[in-house]
Amino acid sequence: MPGAQVIAEHLSRVYGQVAVLDDVSFVVEPGELVALTGPSGSGKTTLLQLIGSLDRPTSGRILVDDVSVGELSHPAEFRRATVGFVFQLHYLLPALSAQDNVELPLVAAHVPRRERIERASELLTRVGLGNRARARPAELSGGERQRVAIARALAGRPRLLLADEPTGSLDSAASHKIWELLANACGHDGTTVIVASHDLTLAEHTERSLRLLDGHLVPPTQEQLAPKGIT
Amino acid sequence: MITLGQTFANLRGRPGRTFLTALGTALGIATIVALLAVVGGVRQSAGSLVDLGPSEFGLFQSDAADPTTSILATNLIPQLDRTPGIAAATPLVLLVNDLPKAPGAIVFGANAHGFLTGGLVFNSGRSYRSGGEIVVGDTLAAQLRIALGQRLTIAHRRLLVVGIYHNGIAYQDSGAFVSLGTAQAISGRQGEATTIVVKLHPATKPSTAQRTIARRFPGVEVISDAQQATRAGVSGELISQFGLVIVVLALVIGGIGVANTMLMAVTERRSEFALLSAVGFSGPQIAGRVLIESILTTIIGAAIGLLIGVIGARLLIHALGAQTFVSPQVTAWDLGRGLLVGVLLGILGGLYPAWRAANVSPARVLAQH
Repeated sequence: MPGAQVIAEHLSRVYGQVAVLDDVSFVVEPGELVALTGPSGSGKTTLLQLIGSLDRPTSGRILVDDVSVGELSHPAEFRRATVGFVFQLHYLLPALSAQDNVELPLVAAHVPRRERIERASELLTRVGLGNRARARPAELSGGERQRVAIARALAGRPRLLLADEPTGSLDSAASHKIWELLANACGHDGTTVIVASHDLTLAEHTERSLRLLDGHLVPPTQEQLAPKGIT
Repeated sequence: MITLGQTFANLRGRPGRTFLTALGTALGIATIVALLAVVGGVRQSAGSLVDLGPSEFGLFQSDAADPTTSILATNLIPQLDRTPGIAAATPLVLLVNDLPKAPGAIVFGANAHGFLTGGLVFNSGRSYRSGGEIVVGDTLAAQLRIALGQRLTIAHRRLLVVGIYHNGIAYQDSGAFVSLGTAQAISGRQGEATTIVVKLHPATKPSTAQRTIARRFPGVEVISDAQQATRAGVSGELISQFGLVIVVLALVIGGIGVANTMLMAVTERRSEFALLSAVGFSGPQIAGRVLIESILTTIIGAAIGLLIGVIGARLLIHALGAQTFVSPQVTAWDLGRGLLVGVLLGILGGLYPAWRAANVSPARVLAQH
Protein backbone atom coordinates (compact mmCIF):
# COMPACT_ATOMS: atom_id res chain seq x y z
CA MET A 1 0.00 0.00 0.00
CA PRO A 2 1.50 3.39 -1.00
CA GLY A 3 2.37 6.01 1.59
CA ALA A 4 0.10 8.89 2.44
CA GLN A 5 0.28 12.38 1.06
CA VAL A 6 0.41 15.12 3.68
CA ILE A 7 -0.66 18.70 2.91
CA ALA A 8 -0.51 21.48 5.51
CA GLU A 9 -2.42 24.66 4.60
CA HIS A 10 -1.79 27.81 6.65
CA LEU A 11 -1.55 25.76 9.79
CA SER A 12 -1.50 27.52 13.17
CA ARG A 13 -1.62 26.27 16.72
CA VAL A 14 -1.98 28.70 19.58
CA TYR A 15 -1.80 27.73 23.28
CA GLY A 16 -3.20 30.61 25.34
CA GLN A 17 -1.35 33.64 23.95
CA VAL A 18 1.55 31.66 22.51
CA ALA A 19 1.56 30.78 18.83
CA VAL A 20 3.53 27.55 18.67
CA LEU A 21 2.91 27.20 14.93
CA ASP A 22 2.10 30.14 12.70
CA ASP A 23 0.88 29.86 9.12
CA VAL A 24 2.78 26.72 8.19
CA SER A 25 2.20 25.25 4.75
CA PHE A 26 3.96 22.37 2.98
CA VAL A 27 3.37 19.19 1.02
CA VAL A 28 4.93 15.77 1.66
CA GLU A 29 4.48 13.35 -1.20
CA PRO A 30 3.61 9.66 -0.73
CA GLY A 31 6.64 7.53 0.09
CA GLU A 32 8.89 10.49 0.97
CA LEU A 33 11.31 10.44 3.90
CA VAL A 34 11.30 14.00 5.21
CA ALA A 35 13.28 15.57 8.03
CA LEU A 36 11.60 18.13 10.23
CA THR A 37 14.35 20.08 11.90
CA GLY A 38 14.62 23.02 14.22
CA PRO A 39 15.75 23.87 17.69
CA SER A 40 13.88 22.83 20.81
CA GLY A 41 10.60 24.75 21.13
CA SER A 42 10.35 25.48 17.44
CA GLY A 43 7.06 23.57 17.09
CA LYS A 44 8.22 20.24 15.66
CA THR A 45 6.39 18.06 18.16
CA THR A 46 3.22 20.13 17.84
CA LEU A 47 3.35 19.82 14.07
CA LEU A 48 3.74 16.03 14.26
CA GLN A 49 0.83 15.85 16.73
CA LEU A 50 -1.37 17.85 14.37
CA ILE A 51 -0.44 15.63 11.41
CA GLY A 52 -1.11 12.53 13.51
CA SER A 53 -4.50 13.83 14.78
CA LEU A 54 -3.35 13.84 18.42
CA ASP A 55 -4.18 17.55 18.49
CA ARG A 56 -6.32 19.97 16.44
CA PRO A 57 -5.09 23.13 14.70
CA THR A 58 -6.29 26.53 15.87
CA SER A 59 -6.62 27.57 12.24
CA GLY A 60 -5.71 26.23 8.83
CA ARG A 61 -6.00 22.58 8.01
CA ILE A 62 -3.97 19.48 7.46
CA LEU A 63 -4.92 16.89 4.90
CA VAL A 64 -3.69 13.31 4.96
CA ASP A 65 -4.78 11.71 1.71
CA ASP A 66 -7.48 14.37 1.43
CA VAL A 67 -8.78 13.67 4.94
CA SER A 68 -8.86 16.82 7.06
CA VAL A 69 -7.49 15.29 10.22
CA GLY A 70 -8.32 18.26 12.45
CA GLU A 71 -12.02 17.73 11.83
CA LEU A 72 -12.23 14.01 12.50
CA SER A 73 -14.93 12.95 14.94
CA HIS A 74 -13.13 9.65 15.69
CA PRO A 75 -9.41 10.43 15.39
CA ALA A 76 -8.42 7.16 17.11
CA GLU A 77 -9.83 5.22 14.13
CA PHE A 78 -7.81 7.37 11.75
CA ARG A 79 -4.63 6.83 13.76
CA ARG A 80 -5.28 3.11 13.94
CA ALA A 81 -5.71 2.85 10.15
CA THR A 82 -3.17 5.35 8.90
CA VAL A 83 -0.51 6.52 11.34
CA GLY A 84 2.38 4.98 13.23
CA PHE A 85 4.16 6.95 15.95
CA VAL A 86 7.70 6.71 17.28
CA PHE A 87 8.54 8.96 20.23
CA GLN A 88 11.82 9.96 21.79
CA LEU A 89 10.83 7.94 24.84
CA HIS A 90 9.84 4.49 23.74
CA TYR A 91 6.56 4.43 25.76
CA LEU A 92 6.55 0.65 25.90
CA LEU A 93 4.13 -0.71 28.50
CA PRO A 94 6.39 -2.06 31.26
CA ALA A 95 4.14 -4.97 32.24
CA LEU A 96 4.00 -6.37 28.71
CA SER A 97 6.60 -8.27 26.74
CA ALA A 98 8.14 -6.88 23.57
CA GLN A 99 5.80 -9.13 21.57
CA ASP A 100 2.70 -7.87 23.44
CA ASN A 101 3.81 -4.27 23.04
CA VAL A 102 4.15 -4.70 19.28
CA GLU A 103 0.70 -6.31 19.15
CA LEU A 104 -1.02 -3.31 20.79
CA PRO A 105 -2.10 -1.47 17.59
CA LEU A 106 -3.40 -4.78 16.26
CA VAL A 107 -5.41 -5.35 19.45
CA ALA A 108 -6.94 -1.92 18.96
CA ALA A 109 -7.79 -2.90 15.38
CA HIS A 110 -9.44 -6.17 16.47
CA VAL A 111 -6.96 -8.25 14.46
CA PRO A 112 -7.34 -11.98 15.24
CA ARG A 113 -4.82 -13.38 17.75
CA ARG A 114 -2.98 -15.71 15.39
CA GLU A 115 -2.49 -12.92 12.85
CA ARG A 116 -1.34 -10.55 15.59
CA ILE A 117 1.27 -12.98 16.79
CA GLU A 118 2.58 -13.63 13.27
CA ARG A 119 2.77 -9.95 12.42
CA ALA A 120 4.49 -8.98 15.68
CA SER A 121 7.00 -11.83 15.35
CA GLU A 122 7.77 -10.83 11.77
CA LEU A 123 8.36 -7.21 12.78
CA LEU A 124 10.52 -8.10 15.78
CA THR A 125 12.66 -10.24 13.48
CA ARG A 126 12.85 -7.36 11.03
CA VAL A 127 14.16 -5.00 13.71
CA GLY A 128 16.65 -7.65 14.84
CA LEU A 129 14.87 -8.65 18.05
CA GLY A 130 13.31 -11.94 17.02
CA ASN A 131 15.00 -13.68 19.94
CA ARG A 132 13.89 -11.05 22.47
CA ALA A 133 10.13 -11.33 21.93
CA ARG A 134 9.35 -12.43 25.51
CA ALA A 135 11.62 -9.82 27.13
CA ARG A 136 10.05 -7.03 29.17
CA PRO A 137 11.11 -3.43 28.40
CA ALA A 138 13.18 -3.35 31.60
CA GLU A 139 15.25 -6.23 30.22
CA LEU A 140 16.08 -4.40 26.98
CA SER A 141 18.70 -1.75 26.21
CA GLY A 142 17.67 1.77 25.14
CA GLY A 143 18.34 1.00 21.48
CA GLU A 144 16.42 -2.28 21.67
CA ARG A 145 13.43 -0.55 23.26
CA GLN A 146 13.35 2.00 20.48
CA ARG A 147 13.51 -0.79 17.91
CA VAL A 148 10.53 -2.43 19.59
CA ALA A 149 8.78 0.95 19.44
CA ILE A 150 9.45 1.11 15.69
CA ALA A 151 8.11 -2.42 15.27
CA ARG A 152 4.98 -1.33 17.18
CA ALA A 153 4.62 1.75 14.96
CA LEU A 154 4.80 -0.46 11.85
CA ALA A 155 2.47 -3.17 13.19
CA GLY A 156 -0.70 -1.67 11.73
CA ARG A 157 0.96 -1.23 8.29
CA PRO A 158 0.63 2.56 8.50
CA ARG A 159 0.85 4.72 5.40
CA LEU A 160 2.37 7.51 7.46
CA LEU A 161 5.11 7.11 10.06
CA LEU A 162 5.74 10.04 12.40
CA ALA A 163 8.92 9.91 14.46
CA ASP A 164 9.64 12.54 17.09
CA GLU A 165 13.35 12.64 18.05
CA PRO A 166 13.60 8.85 17.68
CA THR A 167 17.36 8.83 18.29
CA GLY A 168 17.38 11.61 20.88
CA SER A 169 18.45 9.42 23.77
CA LEU A 170 20.57 6.87 21.90
CA ASP A 171 24.27 6.50 21.18
CA SER A 172 25.52 6.74 17.60
CA ALA A 173 25.53 2.98 16.92
CA ALA A 174 21.97 2.56 18.13
CA SER A 175 20.95 5.72 16.25
CA HIS A 176 22.39 4.33 13.05
CA LYS A 177 20.30 1.18 13.41
CA ILE A 178 17.16 3.25 13.98
CA TRP A 179 17.84 5.28 10.84
CA GLU A 180 18.26 2.12 8.86
CA LEU A 181 14.88 0.89 10.06
CA LEU A 182 13.13 4.17 9.29
CA ALA A 183 14.70 4.31 5.83
CA ASN A 184 13.71 0.71 5.28
CA ALA A 185 10.10 1.48 6.25
CA CYS A 186 10.11 4.15 3.58
CA GLY A 187 11.99 2.24 0.87
CA HIS A 188 10.65 -1.26 1.55
CA ASP A 189 7.03 -0.50 2.45
CA GLY A 190 6.56 2.79 0.61
CA THR A 191 5.51 4.43 3.86
CA THR A 192 5.68 8.20 4.10
CA VAL A 193 8.06 9.01 6.95
CA ILE A 194 8.39 12.36 8.71
CA VAL A 195 11.14 12.53 11.30
CA ALA A 196 11.48 15.46 13.69
CA SER A 197 14.82 16.26 15.30
CA HIS A 198 16.76 19.23 16.60
CA ASP A 199 19.85 17.56 15.12
CA LEU A 200 20.68 19.43 11.92
CA THR A 201 22.79 16.55 10.59
CA LEU A 202 19.54 14.59 10.36
CA ALA A 203 19.21 15.82 6.82
CA GLU A 204 21.96 13.50 5.63
CA HIS A 205 19.63 10.56 6.22
CA THR A 206 16.61 12.07 4.47
CA GLU A 207 15.54 13.10 1.00
CA ARG A 208 14.22 16.51 2.01
CA SER A 209 14.15 18.79 5.04
CA LEU A 210 11.55 21.12 6.48
CA ARG A 211 12.99 23.59 8.97
CA LEU A 212 10.97 25.19 11.71
CA LEU A 213 12.03 28.24 13.65
CA ASP A 214 9.80 29.84 16.28
CA GLY A 215 6.72 28.24 14.73
CA HIS A 216 7.48 29.33 11.18
CA LEU A 217 8.69 27.23 8.30
CA VAL A 218 12.01 28.65 7.07
CA PRO A 219 14.33 27.61 4.21
CA PRO A 220 16.83 24.82 5.01
CA THR A 221 20.31 25.88 6.16
CA GLN A 222 23.42 25.50 4.01
CA GLU A 223 24.52 22.78 6.42
CA GLN A 224 21.38 20.81 5.62
CA LEU A 225 21.70 21.33 1.88
CA ALA A 226 25.44 20.53 1.65
CA PRO A 227 25.26 16.73 2.12
CA LYS A 228 22.91 16.49 -0.86
CA GLY A 229 25.19 18.63 -3.06
CA ILE A 230 22.72 21.51 -3.16
CA THR A 231 24.06 25.02 -2.66
CA MET B 1 -11.09 -5.27 22.28
CA ILE B 2 -9.16 -6.23 25.36
CA THR B 3 -7.00 -9.28 25.75
CA LEU B 4 -7.44 -10.93 29.11
CA GLY B 5 -3.79 -12.02 29.05
CA GLN B 6 -2.64 -8.40 28.78
CA THR B 7 -4.99 -7.38 31.59
CA PHE B 8 -3.57 -10.12 33.82
CA ALA B 9 -0.07 -9.06 32.80
CA ASN B 10 -0.90 -5.51 33.89
CA LEU B 11 -2.17 -6.78 37.24
CA ARG B 12 0.87 -9.01 37.71
CA GLY B 13 3.10 -6.09 36.77
CA ARG B 14 1.81 -4.17 39.82
CA PRO B 15 1.60 -6.89 42.45
CA GLY B 16 1.56 -4.53 45.45
CA ARG B 17 -1.33 -2.45 44.21
CA THR B 18 -3.27 -5.45 42.93
CA PHE B 19 -2.79 -7.22 46.26
CA LEU B 20 -3.86 -4.25 48.36
CA THR B 21 -6.92 -3.50 46.24
CA ALA B 22 -7.90 -7.16 46.26
CA LEU B 23 -7.30 -7.33 50.01
CA GLY B 24 -9.55 -4.31 50.64
CA THR B 25 -12.27 -5.93 48.58
CA ALA B 26 -11.67 -9.28 50.26
CA LEU B 27 -12.17 -7.82 53.73
CA GLY B 28 -15.38 -6.08 52.66
CA ILE B 29 -16.76 -9.22 51.04
CA ALA B 30 -15.63 -11.35 54.00
CA THR B 31 -17.57 -9.07 56.34
CA ILE B 32 -20.66 -9.33 54.19
CA VAL B 33 -20.49 -13.11 53.85
CA ALA B 34 -19.77 -13.60 57.55
CA LEU B 35 -22.71 -11.43 58.55
CA LEU B 36 -25.04 -13.10 56.08
CA ALA B 37 -23.97 -16.47 57.45
CA VAL B 38 -24.53 -15.36 61.05
CA VAL B 39 -27.91 -13.79 60.23
CA GLY B 40 -28.85 -16.99 58.40
CA GLY B 41 -27.81 -19.00 61.45
CA VAL B 42 -29.84 -16.79 63.78
CA ARG B 43 -32.93 -17.14 61.59
CA GLN B 44 -32.48 -20.89 61.48
CA SER B 45 -32.04 -21.07 65.25
CA ALA B 46 -35.03 -18.88 66.00
CA GLY B 47 -37.18 -20.86 63.62
CA SER B 48 -36.18 -24.16 65.15
CA LEU B 49 -36.87 -23.04 68.69
CA VAL B 50 -40.59 -22.66 68.04
CA ASP B 51 -40.91 -25.77 65.96
CA LEU B 52 -42.71 -27.41 68.82
CA GLY B 53 -44.24 -30.44 67.24
CA PRO B 54 -47.96 -30.84 67.89
CA SER B 55 -48.46 -27.34 69.24
CA GLU B 56 -50.04 -24.63 67.18
CA PHE B 57 -48.70 -21.51 68.84
CA GLY B 58 -45.81 -20.46 71.00
CA LEU B 59 -46.40 -17.51 73.29
CA PHE B 60 -43.36 -15.36 74.02
CA GLN B 61 -42.69 -12.20 75.90
CA SER B 62 -43.08 -9.18 73.61
CA ASP B 63 -39.87 -7.31 72.84
CA ALA B 64 -37.66 -10.15 74.13
CA ALA B 65 -34.20 -9.85 72.58
CA ASP B 66 -34.71 -13.29 71.10
CA PRO B 67 -37.04 -16.24 71.83
CA THR B 68 -34.59 -17.83 74.30
CA THR B 69 -34.66 -14.79 76.60
CA SER B 70 -38.45 -14.55 76.87
CA ILE B 71 -39.96 -14.80 80.39
CA LEU B 72 -43.65 -15.49 80.99
CA ALA B 73 -45.43 -16.18 84.30
CA THR B 74 -46.91 -19.68 84.45
CA ASN B 75 -50.03 -18.33 86.18
CA LEU B 76 -51.15 -17.28 82.70
CA ILE B 77 -51.89 -20.92 81.97
CA PRO B 78 -55.22 -21.22 83.84
CA GLN B 79 -56.39 -18.06 82.07
CA LEU B 80 -55.28 -19.48 78.72
CA ASP B 81 -57.08 -22.73 79.45
CA ARG B 82 -60.28 -20.72 79.89
CA THR B 83 -59.81 -18.85 76.62
CA PRO B 84 -62.25 -19.97 73.89
CA GLY B 85 -60.66 -22.08 71.19
CA ILE B 86 -57.66 -23.18 73.26
CA ALA B 87 -57.57 -26.90 74.05
CA ALA B 88 -54.48 -26.91 76.24
CA ALA B 89 -51.56 -24.73 77.31
CA THR B 90 -48.28 -25.94 78.77
CA PRO B 91 -45.19 -24.06 79.96
CA LEU B 92 -41.76 -24.67 78.54
CA VAL B 93 -38.42 -23.55 79.99
CA LEU B 94 -35.37 -23.43 77.75
CA LEU B 95 -32.01 -24.01 79.40
CA VAL B 96 -29.13 -22.86 77.26
CA ASN B 97 -25.45 -23.54 77.98
CA ASP B 98 -26.17 -25.68 81.04
CA LEU B 99 -24.86 -28.95 79.65
CA PRO B 100 -21.07 -28.65 80.00
CA LYS B 101 -20.26 -31.61 77.75
CA ALA B 102 -22.49 -30.30 74.94
CA PRO B 103 -22.73 -26.52 75.14
CA GLY B 104 -24.80 -26.37 71.96
CA ALA B 105 -27.56 -28.54 73.37
CA ILE B 106 -30.76 -27.05 74.71
CA VAL B 107 -32.43 -28.63 77.71
CA PHE B 108 -36.22 -28.28 77.69
CA GLY B 109 -38.12 -28.15 80.97
CA ALA B 110 -41.69 -29.36 80.48
CA ASN B 111 -44.48 -31.09 82.44
CA ALA B 112 -44.09 -34.84 82.20
CA HIS B 113 -47.72 -35.28 81.24
CA GLY B 114 -48.06 -32.21 79.02
CA PHE B 115 -48.79 -32.59 75.32
CA LEU B 116 -45.23 -31.53 74.47
CA THR B 117 -43.55 -34.55 76.00
CA GLY B 118 -46.41 -36.73 74.82
CA GLY B 119 -45.02 -36.27 71.28
CA LEU B 120 -41.65 -37.82 72.15
CA VAL B 121 -41.16 -41.28 70.67
CA PHE B 122 -38.84 -43.35 72.87
CA ASN B 123 -36.26 -45.58 71.25
CA SER B 124 -35.54 -46.98 74.68
CA GLY B 125 -36.66 -46.34 78.23
CA ARG B 126 -39.55 -44.09 79.23
CA SER B 127 -40.42 -40.49 80.06
CA TYR B 128 -39.25 -38.92 83.31
CA ARG B 129 -41.38 -39.19 86.40
CA SER B 130 -39.41 -37.17 88.94
CA GLY B 131 -37.14 -34.15 89.17
CA GLY B 132 -34.04 -36.33 89.32
CA GLU B 133 -34.62 -37.91 85.90
CA ILE B 134 -33.85 -36.81 82.38
CA VAL B 135 -34.68 -38.04 78.88
CA VAL B 136 -32.14 -37.45 76.12
CA GLY B 137 -32.52 -37.02 72.37
CA ASP B 138 -30.87 -39.74 70.30
CA THR B 139 -28.49 -37.30 68.59
CA LEU B 140 -27.25 -35.99 71.93
CA ALA B 141 -27.04 -39.52 73.34
CA ALA B 142 -24.85 -40.58 70.43
CA GLN B 143 -22.74 -37.45 70.79
CA LEU B 144 -22.19 -37.99 74.52
CA ARG B 145 -22.15 -41.82 74.20
CA ILE B 146 -24.62 -42.01 77.00
CA ALA B 147 -26.98 -44.88 77.71
CA LEU B 148 -29.94 -45.62 79.95
CA GLY B 149 -29.08 -45.77 83.62
CA GLN B 150 -26.13 -43.42 83.32
CA ARG B 151 -26.11 -39.98 84.90
CA LEU B 152 -25.85 -36.68 83.11
CA THR B 153 -24.74 -33.50 84.86
CA ILE B 154 -26.76 -30.37 84.17
CA ALA B 155 -25.79 -27.21 86.06
CA HIS B 156 -24.14 -29.31 88.79
CA ARG B 157 -27.18 -31.62 89.11
CA ARG B 158 -26.60 -35.26 88.32
CA LEU B 159 -29.74 -36.56 86.63
CA LEU B 160 -30.53 -40.18 85.80
CA VAL B 161 -31.07 -40.93 82.12
CA VAL B 162 -34.35 -42.86 81.91
CA GLY B 163 -35.19 -42.56 78.24
CA ILE B 164 -33.76 -41.88 74.77
CA TYR B 165 -36.17 -40.40 72.24
CA HIS B 166 -36.39 -39.27 68.64
CA ASN B 167 -39.03 -36.91 67.27
CA GLY B 168 -37.41 -35.52 64.12
CA ILE B 169 -36.98 -31.95 65.38
CA ALA B 170 -33.25 -31.26 65.24
CA TYR B 171 -33.10 -29.03 68.31
CA GLN B 172 -35.01 -31.49 70.43
CA ASP B 173 -33.16 -34.58 69.18
CA SER B 174 -29.85 -32.91 69.97
CA GLY B 175 -31.16 -31.75 73.36
CA ALA B 176 -32.85 -33.20 76.42
CA PHE B 177 -36.05 -32.89 78.48
CA VAL B 178 -36.31 -32.53 82.26
CA SER B 179 -39.26 -31.80 84.50
CA LEU B 180 -40.54 -28.23 84.59
CA GLY B 181 -39.69 -27.95 88.31
CA THR B 182 -36.10 -29.02 87.74
CA ALA B 183 -35.67 -26.56 84.89
CA GLN B 184 -37.18 -23.74 86.95
CA ALA B 185 -34.89 -24.61 89.83
CA ILE B 186 -31.82 -24.63 87.57
CA SER B 187 -32.75 -21.30 85.99
CA GLY B 188 -33.77 -19.82 89.35
CA ARG B 189 -37.12 -18.78 87.92
CA GLN B 190 -39.81 -20.40 89.98
CA GLY B 191 -43.27 -19.78 88.55
CA GLU B 192 -41.88 -18.66 85.21
CA ALA B 193 -41.38 -20.17 81.77
CA THR B 194 -39.58 -19.18 78.63
CA THR B 195 -42.64 -19.81 76.52
CA ILE B 196 -46.12 -21.19 76.84
CA VAL B 197 -47.12 -23.60 74.13
CA VAL B 198 -50.77 -23.51 73.16
CA LYS B 199 -52.78 -26.22 71.45
CA LEU B 200 -55.98 -25.21 69.70
CA HIS B 201 -59.30 -27.04 69.42
CA PRO B 202 -59.52 -28.68 66.01
CA ALA B 203 -62.41 -26.43 65.02
CA THR B 204 -60.64 -23.21 65.99
CA LYS B 205 -59.29 -21.01 63.25
CA PRO B 206 -55.67 -20.12 64.12
CA SER B 207 -56.09 -16.51 63.03
CA THR B 208 -59.13 -16.06 65.29
CA ALA B 209 -57.32 -17.63 68.28
CA GLN B 210 -54.27 -15.50 67.60
CA ARG B 211 -56.36 -12.32 67.66
CA THR B 212 -58.13 -13.41 70.84
CA ILE B 213 -54.86 -14.15 72.67
CA ALA B 214 -53.31 -10.91 71.53
CA ARG B 215 -56.33 -9.01 72.80
CA ARG B 216 -56.61 -10.78 76.16
CA PHE B 217 -52.89 -11.03 76.99
CA PRO B 218 -51.10 -7.77 76.25
CA GLY B 219 -47.33 -8.03 76.36
CA VAL B 220 -47.44 -11.52 74.89
CA GLU B 221 -46.25 -12.24 71.38
CA VAL B 222 -48.04 -15.03 69.53
CA ILE B 223 -45.76 -16.94 67.22
CA SER B 224 -47.11 -19.51 64.84
CA ASP B 225 -44.25 -20.12 62.43
CA ALA B 226 -40.50 -19.88 62.10
CA GLN B 227 -40.56 -16.72 60.05
CA GLN B 228 -42.64 -15.03 62.71
CA ALA B 229 -40.17 -16.16 65.32
CA THR B 230 -37.38 -14.61 63.40
CA ARG B 231 -39.30 -11.37 63.10
CA ALA B 232 -40.18 -11.42 66.77
CA GLY B 233 -36.56 -11.79 67.86
CA VAL B 234 -35.29 -8.28 68.41
CA SER B 235 -31.66 -9.41 68.24
CA GLY B 236 -32.29 -11.30 65.05
CA GLU B 237 -33.95 -8.25 63.60
CA LEU B 238 -31.11 -6.04 64.77
CA ILE B 239 -28.55 -8.38 63.27
CA SER B 240 -30.52 -8.42 60.02
CA GLN B 241 -30.65 -4.63 59.92
CA PHE B 242 -27.02 -4.41 60.95
CA GLY B 243 -26.11 -6.87 58.22
CA LEU B 244 -27.90 -4.75 55.64
CA VAL B 245 -26.18 -1.60 56.86
CA ILE B 246 -22.81 -3.34 56.68
CA VAL B 247 -23.51 -4.53 53.13
CA VAL B 248 -24.40 -0.99 52.03
CA LEU B 249 -21.41 0.46 53.89
CA ALA B 250 -19.11 -2.15 52.40
CA LEU B 251 -20.38 -1.24 48.94
CA VAL B 252 -19.95 2.49 49.50
CA ILE B 253 -16.61 2.37 51.35
CA GLY B 254 -15.29 -0.45 49.18
CA GLY B 255 -16.44 1.37 46.04
CA ILE B 256 -14.68 4.56 47.14
CA GLY B 257 -11.56 2.57 48.05
CA VAL B 258 -11.46 0.78 44.72
CA ALA B 259 -12.19 4.05 42.89
CA ASN B 260 -9.40 5.79 44.76
CA THR B 261 -6.89 3.04 44.04
CA MET B 262 -7.89 2.80 40.39
CA LEU B 263 -7.79 6.58 40.08
CA MET B 264 -4.25 6.63 41.44
CA ALA B 265 -3.35 3.88 39.01
CA VAL B 266 -4.85 5.86 36.13
CA THR B 267 -3.01 9.02 37.20
CA GLU B 268 0.28 7.13 37.37
CA ARG B 269 -0.39 5.48 34.03
CA ARG B 270 -1.48 8.55 32.08
CA SER B 271 1.38 8.11 29.63
CA GLU B 272 0.28 4.51 29.08
CA PHE B 273 -3.26 5.59 28.21
CA ALA B 274 -1.94 8.43 26.06
CA LEU B 275 0.18 5.87 24.20
CA LEU B 276 -2.80 3.56 23.77
CA SER B 277 -4.76 6.46 22.35
CA ALA B 278 -1.86 7.32 20.02
CA VAL B 279 -1.67 3.77 18.64
CA GLY B 280 -5.38 3.77 17.88
CA PHE B 281 -7.30 2.67 20.95
CA SER B 282 -10.63 4.49 21.15
CA GLY B 283 -11.96 6.05 24.37
CA PRO B 284 -14.37 3.17 25.04
CA GLN B 285 -11.57 0.64 24.42
CA ILE B 286 -9.32 2.36 26.96
CA ALA B 287 -12.18 2.71 29.45
CA GLY B 288 -12.93 -0.99 28.94
CA ARG B 289 -9.34 -1.94 29.82
CA VAL B 290 -9.50 0.01 33.08
CA LEU B 291 -12.93 -1.34 33.94
CA ILE B 292 -11.91 -4.94 33.24
CA GLU B 293 -8.80 -4.50 35.40
CA SER B 294 -10.94 -3.07 38.17
CA ILE B 295 -13.48 -5.89 37.96
CA LEU B 296 -10.80 -8.58 37.75
CA THR B 297 -9.07 -7.18 40.82
CA THR B 298 -12.27 -7.09 42.85
CA ILE B 299 -13.29 -10.57 41.67
CA ILE B 300 -9.94 -11.90 42.90
CA GLY B 301 -10.60 -10.02 46.14
CA ALA B 302 -14.16 -11.37 46.32
CA ALA B 303 -12.96 -14.96 45.90
CA ILE B 304 -10.51 -14.52 48.77
CA GLY B 305 -13.20 -12.68 50.74
CA LEU B 306 -15.68 -15.55 50.36
CA LEU B 307 -13.16 -17.93 51.88
CA ILE B 308 -12.30 -15.58 54.73
CA GLY B 309 -16.01 -14.87 55.26
CA VAL B 310 -16.96 -18.52 55.67
CA ILE B 311 -14.14 -19.07 58.16
CA GLY B 312 -14.76 -15.66 59.74
CA ALA B 313 -18.43 -16.44 60.39
CA ARG B 314 -17.46 -19.36 62.62
CA LEU B 315 -14.80 -17.29 64.36
CA LEU B 316 -17.29 -14.45 64.85
CA ILE B 317 -19.88 -16.72 66.43
CA HIS B 318 -17.24 -18.19 68.71
CA ALA B 319 -15.96 -14.73 69.60
CA LEU B 320 -19.51 -13.69 70.50
CA GLY B 321 -19.95 -16.87 72.51
CA ALA B 322 -23.06 -17.63 70.50
CA GLN B 323 -22.04 -21.05 69.21
CA THR B 324 -24.59 -22.60 71.58
CA PHE B 325 -27.56 -21.17 69.68
CA VAL B 326 -26.22 -20.30 66.28
CA SER B 327 -24.27 -22.15 63.66
CA PRO B 328 -23.47 -20.07 60.57
CA GLN B 329 -25.56 -20.84 57.52
CA VAL B 330 -23.69 -20.19 54.28
CA THR B 331 -25.86 -20.76 51.24
CA ALA B 332 -24.89 -20.68 47.58
CA TRP B 333 -26.98 -17.53 47.33
CA ASP B 334 -24.89 -15.89 50.09
CA LEU B 335 -21.71 -16.76 48.18
CA GLY B 336 -23.31 -15.55 44.96
CA ARG B 337 -24.24 -12.28 46.63
CA GLY B 338 -20.66 -11.88 47.86
CA LEU B 339 -19.34 -12.39 44.35
CA LEU B 340 -21.98 -10.05 42.94
CA VAL B 341 -20.92 -7.36 45.41
CA GLY B 342 -17.33 -7.89 44.22
CA VAL B 343 -18.33 -7.34 40.60
CA LEU B 344 -20.43 -4.32 41.59
CA LEU B 345 -17.48 -2.88 43.52
CA GLY B 346 -15.30 -3.34 40.45
CA ILE B 347 -17.82 -1.60 38.22
CA LEU B 348 -18.65 1.22 40.66
CA GLY B 349 -15.04 1.76 41.64
CA GLY B 350 -13.81 1.53 38.06
CA LEU B 351 -16.31 3.77 36.29
CA TYR B 352 -14.84 7.18 37.09
CA PRO B 353 -11.19 6.10 36.68
CA ALA B 354 -12.18 4.48 33.37
CA TRP B 355 -13.74 7.73 32.22
CA ARG B 356 -10.63 9.65 33.28
CA ALA B 357 -8.38 7.21 31.42
CA ALA B 358 -10.50 7.44 28.29
CA ASN B 359 -10.19 11.23 28.33
CA VAL B 360 -6.43 11.50 28.76
CA SER B 361 -5.13 13.93 26.13
CA PRO B 362 -2.34 12.11 24.27
CA ALA B 363 -0.91 15.34 22.86
CA ARG B 364 -0.56 16.95 26.28
CA VAL B 365 0.73 13.89 28.12
CA LEU B 366 3.21 12.73 25.48
CA ALA B 367 4.50 16.28 24.98
CA GLN B 368 5.05 16.64 28.76
CA HIS B 369 7.37 13.67 28.69
